[in-house]
Amino acid sequence: MSNSASAYFNRWVKAPVHIAPLAVLRIAFGSIMLVSTIRFILKGWIESFYIKPTFHFTFYGFDWVKVPPGVGMYLLFGLLVATAIMVTIGLCYRFAITAFFLCFTYVELLDKTTYLNHYYFISVMAFLMIWVPAHRYFSVDVLISPNKTISRVPAWTINIFKLQLLMVYFFAGLSKLNYDWMIAAMPLRIWLPASSSLPIIGGLLAQTWVAYAFSWFGAMFDIFIGFLLLSKRYRKLGYALVVVFHLATGLLFKIGMFPYIMIFVTIIFFSEKTHIKLINFLKMLLPKAGHYVAAKDYRLPAFQSRFIYTVLVIHFIIQTILPFRFLLYPGKLYWTEEGYRFSWRVMLMEKGGTIFFHVKDPATGRRSEIINAQYLNNFQETQMSTQPDMILQFAHFLAAEYEKKGIKNPIVTADSYVTLNGSGSKLYIDSTVNLATQQEGFGHKKWIRPFNSK
Amino acid sequence: MKKIAFLVLIAASTFTLIQSCSKSGNSTPDKNNGSSFDRGAMLTNISTNIILPGYTAYQADAVTLDAAVTTFNTTPNAINLTAAQNAFIATYKAWQSVSMYEFGPAAAIQLQVNTNTFPASVDVINANITSGTYNPALLSNLPAKGLPALDYLLFGTGADNTAILAQYTTDSQAAHRKTYLATLTTEVKTNATTVLNQWTASYKTTFASNTGTDAGSSTSLLVNQLIYDYENLKNYEIGVPAGVQTSGQALPAKVQAYYSKISLALAKLHLQAVQNLYMGASGQGLDDYLVFVKAQYNGGSLNDAITAQFATSLAKLNGLTDPLSANIISNQAAVTATYTELQKLTVLLKTDMTSSLGILITFGDNDGD
Repeated sequence: MSNSASAYFNRWVKAPVHIAPLAVLRIAFGSIMLVSTIRFILKGWIESFYIKPTFHFTFYGFDWVKVPPGVGMYLLFGLLVATAIMVTIGLCYRFAITAFFLCFTYVELLDKTTYLNHYYFISVMAFLMIWVPAHRYFSVDVLISPNKTISRVPAWTINIFKLQLLMVYFFAGLSKLNYDWMIAAMPLRIWLPASSSLPIIGGLLAQTWVAYAFSWFGAMFDIFIGFLLLSKRYRKLGYALVVVFHLATGLLFKIGMFPYIMIFVTIIFFSEKTHIKLINFLKMLLPKAGHYVAAKDYRLPAFQSRFIYTVLVIHFIIQTILPFRFLLYPGKLYWTEEGYRFSWRVMLMEKGGTIFFHVKDPATGRRSEIINAQYLNNFQETQMSTQPDMILQFAHFLAAEYEKKGIKNPIVTADSYVTLNGSGSKLYIDSTVNLATQQEGFGHKKWIRPFNSK
Repeated sequence: MKKIAFLVLIAASTFTLIQSCSKSGNSTPDKNNGSSFDRGAMLTNISTNIILPGYTAYQADAVTLDAAVTTFNTTPNAINLTAAQNAFIATYKAWQSVSMYEFGPAAAIQLQVNTNTFPASVDVINANITSGTYNPALLSNLPAKGLPALDYLLFGTGADNTAILAQYTTDSQAAHRKTYLATLTTEVKTNATTVLNQWTASYKTTFASNTGTDAGSSTSLLVNQLIYDYENLKNYEIGVPAGVQTSGQALPAKVQAYYSKISLALAKLHLQAVQNLYMGASGQGLDDYLVFVKAQYNGGSLNDAITAQFATSLAKLNGLTDPLSANIISNQAAVTATYTELQKLTVLLKTDMTSSLGILITFGDNDGD
């Protein structure tokens, strides 16, 4: 048993493998990040998401993350563009990928309004890429100092990405195994007919059985695709499915760059032969490609490997636990959203809400209704109306605003109505609770009304 | 590989057991008739039978108003003043049926704020009149032009028509005031004409053919603007004047059409216009769309709930009296109660309707996942 375990460890962690997949991943990730960042800038989102709003929904414990003043935000995105290019071509790679990770994560931490699982995914991927020598082959770095070129790396440097991708798909699949998705075909039964104006397939999308087919296929795809890609025999089929699935979802839903990111990074699953071919193909396109260097292995001092192992083991333990933390909270997950983020739960809910805040002066008993649009943009208001932690943050902000206006200990309450997967709107949070005195934390928010209450 | 697949299945089924305890929708999975809702037909109906007639009527009234003001300016007498006032009332009433189409041609010239930013600023209006020059494009001039400014000029410059007439005849600023009045009605007329012409020329086709549901599609624009405009009605025509946002301190002067005292009549027409759009007049509308997708609310049909809430809201408005500004003082509780009913309709339209249609309710543009 211990023999097979150590053999297993050797095969997946220590065995020397060709470095080409890492170089391809570096180029694929870097270039798609470049496109993604430029697209974000061109859409004017820096201005509308970060600069214009006066209030931002920061993450719990990250209140210190602030939108930099003046042109700071543009500099930050300039840095993202520059480091994405540097990662792609492999110039000062370790610095570039670390800076990219830090800047990208900083931007994501600014406002949870814009939280998307695929942004989280990008942060995770960039973090993992910090620890691998993806620049030691077919890069500007080795063009400058050719003796740095290596051709073989320990298997873990590549397998961590496969494991991460496997987990992303698998958890996304697991989260689909519930009543709403499988039995009621929700929310696809609402979403698909909305695309019925598409040519050819449009008419089909309005049919109930199609929503079921999509739901079941989607769940199966997510659960099994990682394993298909791992297996030599089904890899090509798996990758074809990846391309078709992601392009189809990209066509049907407004999910931005996500499909292309996944299509690019799942290339990592292919064999080293395929990756060497890819690199050779790229070399043909370039006028001055690096010359061939004799086989050389990547070696790290023992203490460094041990440090990296520790970091990675901790990372994957956290990755395994996070999606299950919702079990610690009572109530229906989709309704309370306690433990919802950072769990690869995508496309699971059609949730909408309307919320009216009231601020009452305890001295006079008089109360005012707030026009949310005076403080928030529409995107923020829409996101807040269905997420309790954001509701609480805004309530605290209102309390502070009215303190400034001279009202002592203002009482902030909210009338909030939410509909979930076609349930019809219901009172969402206890409208008698003074939100100003409720504390944010990891505990259960008792003022969220249970989903099934009348 | 087999072992892994087996483990996956076990993990998956365990997970299903853990989280499949409750369901969200109370709609039972049932088959619709297999076809999809014809959004193109709905859009064509709405543009042909609601939007275009609305703009045509509004533009015609705006032309009449401008002509009546020209006549009044040439011969400022009591009869011509009354004629101009009546033409103004007709225009303001017609406006209520078109204020919610702030996309395409109307959005291009920001018709809504340029036509109906209220309350009007008497100070800015008088300053403009005195100086004799003003730039209508300035943001600071928004509350000094359009229908609210005309409301003041035609009804608010004196205690009665005799006093008002004096402002255009014997007053030292009479000439300037007449010019200002004419400039305003001309701008209202020009804007109305621009929008109407673009709708008839090409936008009608653009509108009816953009049948998707993504941001920027006609259905999405229509629904988003319906809700936006309805919230303006609820907040600014009723809520703000009733003191809902100011600790119950009433602000009656903030009503729409404060000087002509037709605030309530306008609010009713506005609500009816929103309802008419929702119903698609007598053709295909959002109501049919909701029925088609079998949208549910509280165990019944969402369309029934919305229809009922329109009726309740209208009944509440019918219980109030014009001038609304006086009614707010005499019976603030009744106005606040009306506001509460209007608020319930907001929830149904904004949350339930958009969610059932799978329409992106964001005025901007963003990705989801």
